[in-house]
This record gives sequence, structure tokens and C-alpha cells, in this order.
Amino acid sequence: MECRVLSIQSHVVRGYVGNKSASFPLQVLGFEVDSINSVQFSNHTGYSHWKGQVLTADELHVLYEGIKLNNVHQYDYVLTGYTRDTSFLEMVVDIVQELKRANPNLVYVCDPVLGDHGSMYVPQNLYPVYKNKVVPVADIITPNQFEADLRISLTDSLLGDRFLVSLGSQRQVRPDGSRATQRVRIEVPKVDAVFVGTGDLFAAMLLAWTHHYPNDLKMACEKTFSVMHHVIQRTISYAHELAGPGRRPSPPQLELRMVQSKADIEDPAIVTEATVIS
Amino acid sequence: PEEKCRVLSIQSHVVRGYVGNKSATFPLQVLGFEVDSINSVQFSNHTGYAHWKGQVLTADELNVLYEGIKLNKVNHYDYILTGYSRDTSFLETVVDIIQELKKANPSLVYVCDPVMGDHGAMYVPENLLPVYRDKVVPLADILTPNQFEAELLTGRKVNTQEDAFEVMDLLHKMGPETVVLTSSDLPSKKGDQFLVALGSQKIVKPDGSKTSQKICMDIPKVDAVFVGTGDLFAAMLLAWTHHHPKDLKAACEKTVSVMHHVIKRTITYANEMAGPGKRPSPAQLELRMVQSKADIENPAIVVEAKVLHKSSQ
Repeated sequence: MECRVLSIQSHVVRGYVGNKSASFPLQVLGFEVDSINSVQFSNHTGYSHWKGQVLTADELHVLYEGIKLNNVHQYDYVLTGYTRDTSFLEMVVDIVQELKRANPNLVYVCDPVLGDHGSMYVPQNLYPVYKNKVVPVADIITPNQFEADLRISLTDSLLGDRFLVSLGSQRQVRPDGSRATQRVRIEVPKVDAVFVGTGDLFAAMLLAWTHHYPNDLKMACEKTFSVMHHVIQRTISYAHELAGPGRRPSPPQLELRMVQSKADIEDPAIVTEATVIS
Repeated sequence: PEEKCRVLSIQSHVVRGYVGNKSATFPLQVLGFEVDSINSVQFSNHTGYAHWKGQVLTADELNVLYEGIKLNKVNHYDYILTGYSRDTSFLETVVDIIQELKKANPSLVYVCDPVMGDHGAMYVPENLLPVYRDKVVPLADILTPNQFEAELLTGRKVNTQEDAFEVMDLLHKMGPETVVLTSSDLPSKKGDQFLVALGSQKIVKPDGSKTSQKICMDIPKVDAVFVGTGDLFAAMLLAWTHHHPKDLKAACEKTVSVMHHVIKRTITYANEMAGPGKRPSPAQLELRMVQSKADIENPAIVVEAKVLHKSSQ
């Protein structure tokens, strides 16, 4: 499999968010991952302290220029996630557009990270950039309910309040030219902890599994959600072990057990079934 | 490995390709190590391409990152790994960090590739030599110089295998218990398609007893210029000495074997991409790292290290 991904995300020295969360699993699955680090921080911002440096839009452009000058700006996928800066995001859009001209089959997987549970945790002026410029060039997007800006309240899980509901929708063009939309629904067991980096892992694994199942969203989602489950279960077990009985684990203790989950990443046992809605 | 396997690697990052942290991180992670990585630079690609662009981390910025780790009280590492550096103040900050990490964990193992040059010429600023010699090497536990770097550090020329082991003994006295001369221009008994690599380990245990081992390897030469192989070597030597802490022969055989598999896969692919009769380009010669996962996990041994001397007292 010759498949090259350009991933533009954060780098943390310690832990698994952004490029740290996306690269290893994709590499383990055989993808070549070129990574532009949008920041370099000591660790994610859920710890008591964090320190580091950010990449400016100009510096991003300089790095891309280097790739382009060497004529190696051919990618099959682009992957982006958390960004705090509109000019940086706009530069990302310019790069994606140029890469799509270089390879019209390029697939842009975009996690439009804006916020959750009713509030934004990035500057508000990112919203119009995502809506008007980023999402129009995306091929796969992974918003949460808040980011998707749904005005209807979603149904509750049929399995009770220890589950949350995820929905997927894929528009396809059949060989005969007719169009179809595949819709799927997955019930996902909730875990009583705050994880960081799971959204980044999700987008990366959705990239991988839609690559292997480009016309079967049900299968791609089942694999992706199953990987998430295995990594999260391993993480929460280990975190509780470290924290000790009756204590809530700390952010360092809750870092994803990524390296330890290699076998699950390579070949995830399916633990959740997606229902095809239409 | 579960316990005692957190590595802090301070090396370059390239967007595309496999040098520095890009070369070291994936293989170590595949072998189960937790790798914390500080990127000393971020470049588009390595400097062997026609063009390269990017940004460097200053010594102050390195310090800031380390401060973040320290403030969270997660500055506990089992290994540190460093490689190519161009900046004396950056290297001196690395030394300070290592000293502090060794105080936090006295069992910490510092794996140091003292990258300065090769084939008789330096390719870093000359003023790095005294910093390596006087400050870095004394802290190193495992050192992976090539012949030229070993000569620079000790001020002694190597003409024979005896010279090489004398130089390695001098390096032991400067600090590291384990020294691997990753390449030399000593003649191989297998002929001129092979290069000679040597290893020496001198361990003094807390009870005063000593073990020592000297080994020799004949490594097949490959007709191409690879970049990032030294970084992969140091990372894999870290991994295999972790599994074979007192058996330099086993550690080196595994390390050199991994190198062989990755390089063979790379040169085959590069020649395919370049086409018949054409020399592959730097882009085509990037290590086939991801494709070599199985060899990294479990390298078939393809080189036998000869034990020249072994003793325990």
C-alpha cells in the first residue's frame, strides 16, 4: 500500500494529542505520514501547566514551500484537527487547494474542532472560516453535535444513558451514475473520564478505515469505533491502577495507552455494530 | 516492555522522510517504548535534498519545553537519546537537562550519537567538539561514534584494530560503559564489500565486580548514500541493549540486522522508483520505515558478531 498522508496538527513532547495521536496508528497501519507540527508544547493543555511554541501561518507556508520546491507535494490524504488561529487555518486551506490541484483524488479529512457541550473552546472567528472555507474543501468531516450545529435534539440511545449515539452519513455515486446516501447509527458506551486526543485518534482511524472501505461506511465506522474502544479501555484500566482505589486519575495518568494498543490498532476486534438507517 | 521504558529523544523533525526523531520514534514505539520527543528543528526534509526549509529551536525554547515537563512533575525518564546538533548553546542546554534528569533517576541511560563528521571531515561547527568531549561524552552511557568521531574525541588516530580498541578504552574512561564504533575503514576479513564495526562494553557493578566484552562485526556495504540510518542505529541499539543489557553481542547483532533489513528494502524500492541505470534521488532513498515494521519488531539475525574478548570478575 503506497499511501501518503499530510497531517497538520499539534505536537506535544509528552502524551498523545494531535500529531502524536494520529501518526503512530497510521504508520502502524502502513500509511506514510508527513507531519507538520502546528505547535510544539510540553504536553496538552489539560495538565496543570503547559509550555511551548506555536507555528505562524508564514512558517507553515515556508515548510510547505520546501516540500513543493523538491516536487514531493503529492499526497493522497490531508488530515487536520485543532487550530486556534484564523490566518493559520486560511493558510491550511490554500495548501489543501493546491494539493488537490496536484492530485484531484486527494481526500481531505477534517476534524472541525470548535467546541463541545454547548460552548466554543476556540476563538469565535474560526467558525466562519470553517463554515465558508474549510468544510467546502473537506471530503470527510468528524464534527461532534455542537460543531455540526444541529438544531434538533438527538434521540437518546436505545441502550440507556450509559451510551451515546453517533451518526454517519456518506454520499456516494454508484457506477451507473445514480446517487445514494448511506446513513449509519452507532451506540457507543460512555466512559466516566475525560480523555484528550481521542478525537484526533478517531479522525486518523476513520481516514485509515474509509481508505480500506471507501464504499462501506458501516464497516469503516465499526472498525474506527472498535479501535477507540480498545484504546480507551486499556487507558482507563491503567489510569485507575496508577491512581489507586477511589481516586480520580490525573491527566498524565489518563494519557492514551497508544503504544500498548498496537495489536488492536492493526486488527481491531469489532465490539460495536453500526445499524444502517437507509 | 512495560516498566522502565520512557525515552526522551531530542532530535530534528522533518515533515517528510526519516531522520532524527522521525527515524527514531516509530521503531521505538513499535518495540513498546514510550517516546517523548523534543524536536530541535522542524524542516521540510533533510538537507541532502536540492532544497530544504524550516525553523530551529533555540536553547531558550528547549528550556521552556523542559520546564513544562518539570512543572508537571513528569520529568522521569529511563533513557535519553540525542543525535545531530549544530549549536553549542543548544547542546549545553541538553547537557543541563540530562544532568537534572540523572539526578531525578540515577539509573537513567543516556544514549548519545556524537554526530560531528565522517570520512575525515567535520560537518558541524568545530566548536562543538570541546562541548562533546568535555561535557556530553562524560554523561553518556552508550556512545555510537564512527571512526572519525572517535578519533576527534580522543585525539588519537586509528590505523589498526588494536588502535580502535585503545581509542574505545579511552572513551570508556571518559564516561560511557558501552561504545559501538558504527563504522571504520579497517579492512574486513570478508573483503572490500564489507566494513568493520566494533563494540566494547565495560560494566563496573555497584559491588565492584566487572564484566567486559569486545566484539567485531563485518557489515555488508551498500552502494548508496542513506540519511537517517545513524539515527535508526542509535535508537535500535537503545532498544536491544535494553533487552540484552550485559550481552553486547546479542544487542549488536539485532541492531545491525534491523539496519540491514531496512536498508535492503529501501535500496530495492529506490532502484525500482529510479528505473534501470539511474541513481536514485534523496527523496527515493528515504528509509522504508513503515514498511519494515515486522523486521523492526523481530529482526532475523543476518550478521554474526564475533566475541574477541569476554571477562567477568
